Amino acid sequence: MGLFELAAAKMLSSAAMLLFGTVLLMATAKRISTCVYLFACQSAILTAEVVAAGYVQHMREAYIIAGMVLLVKVFAIPFALLWLMKKLRTAHDVGASLSPGYSVFVMSGLIILSFAAVRLYLIELHATEVILAAAVALILNGAFLMVTRSKALMLMMGLLVLENGIFLAALVTTFGMPLIIEIGIVFDLLIGLFLMGIFVFRIRDTFDHLDVSRLRGLRG
Amino acid sequence: MMGFVINIVQMLLLVLAAPLLRGIISKLKAWIQKRQGASVWRPYANLWKLFHKEELVPNTATLIFRSAPVVAFAATVVAAAFLPVLHPAAFLTLDGDIFLFVYLLAIGRFAMSLGALDGGSSFGGMGSSREALVAALAEAPLFLVLTALAILARTGSLSEIAAWTIRQNFFDVSTVHLLALAALAIVAVAETGRIPVDNPTTHLELTMIHEAMVLEYSGPSLALIEWSQAIKLNLLATLMIGLFAPWGMSLTVTPLGLAAALGTYALKLACLVIGLAVVESSVAKLRMYAVPDFLRVASALAILAVIFTAITKR
Repeated sequence: MGLFELAAAKMLSSAAMLLFGTVLLMATAKRISTCVYLFACQSAILTAEVVAAGYVQHMREAYIIAGMVLLVKVFAIPFALLWLMKKLRTAHDVGASLSPGYSVFVMSGLIILSFAAVRLYLIELHATEVILAAAVALILNGAFLMVTRSKALMLMMGLLVLENGIFLAALVTTFGMPLIIEIGIVFDLLIGLFLMGIFVFRIRDTFDHLDVSRLRGLRG
Repeated sequence: MMGFVINIVQMLLLVLAAPLLRGIISKLKAWIQKRQGASVWRPYANLWKLFHKEELVPNTATLIFRSAPVVAFAATVVAAAFLPVLHPAAFLTLDGDIFLFVYLLAIGRFAMSLGALDGGSSFGGMGSSREALVAALAEAPLFLVLTALAILARTGSLSEIAAWTIRQNFFDVSTVHLLALAALAIVAVAETGRIPVDNPTTHLELTMIHEAMVLEYSGPSLALIEWSQAIKLNLLATLMIGLFAPWGMSLTVTPLGLAAALGTYALKLACLVIGLAVVESSVAKLRMYAVPDFLRVASALAILAVIFTAITKR
């Protein structure tokens, strides 16, 4: 039993660091598929985090939520995205408007900023500083990915990373939301992905590319 | 007294086993590419051959051309004296030797750049300007990585950082170490001129960096250059092991402990070498203009590592 508790405690303390790792790797990724795999890794870390939190606080519901996250975010969404990429048959690059080096610089800045932002609320929230900062960092970096990557699929990736951040923030601050709300959020995400998938196909059919920075160019 | 002998032995190990490491890497790469590959002892035979050859020096060259390989080799060997290998102590240790280590490597590069310029061929100038660019960009992250670890360990000496790391819990991976390791891995690739930055086996004028510098060298000088290049690879691999995974080093100087330390060291080195061989066989070399961006990632990670030493309280 001691071993399980040790593993859970280590997971809770070192998960934030692994999340920073996935986010920084996403900044350097040149292909969309790399980002999809990294997102799957990130979600797997989140799943482990939920399991660890559930084990430490003895909540049965947490395991159901963990299973749902595993099913949807680790398997369903990455598979759907990879399938979408195969179907769309467009260029695989992320369309970065900022080079990887600068992206990592900005993302590092955002991570530090999130530490600074979290510090003010730490006393009221009773949450671990590093993990709360990781949640804020995921939200900021997801938004940053959406802003600096011009391919429609990468915008979806950014949104998913952002959503992971919100999920983590909810997990740390409220010690697990009610099950029904979690189910609602996950289904929201699925429907969102479905709609975005349709939308991406429409963009491709109309413009022959997925570069959102060139959407304003008229076709004659 | 025993410790002193061990310190000399581990320094000699770094220097003398370096060509073998190179041979093993090329053998592994050959296996990955489904080739037979040359024997792992081939680099030694190559060095032997070069040492017995006549040295040809360009007419325009001065003393600098002849002395550059010797200076580079000497600087690299002295840098080897600062690294802990089998136990957390080194032949030479002083507080702040992390800076000395970096600058000993830099002296080697500086001497080689001068020698290449002195050779008088256009390739030498091209190679040395590229080398200077890579060196300047790789120096800052290397410094920051070492600084971050020095702040954590509250000491400025490589062997004492290793000694401090051994006392930590293996499972308490810290953010600083992870970021620093990632940055150091990138820097090590750039410093040793391996594939994403420079290809050690090519002689294509558009891409070569280090090979362009040594194009005019022959005979014993070339042997010294090749050897110091091999030692440098060994140095950076050992630096990574010593700073980030020193567990297994023997804390007491006993024959059994040292044998175990040698075994674990070889095992860790083997992991690094296999990783390097896989990366070199699966990744394409970066364009010259993409190299600064690659190193910029290392700088960002290293800066983050230094800042994290202040943010996370241990």
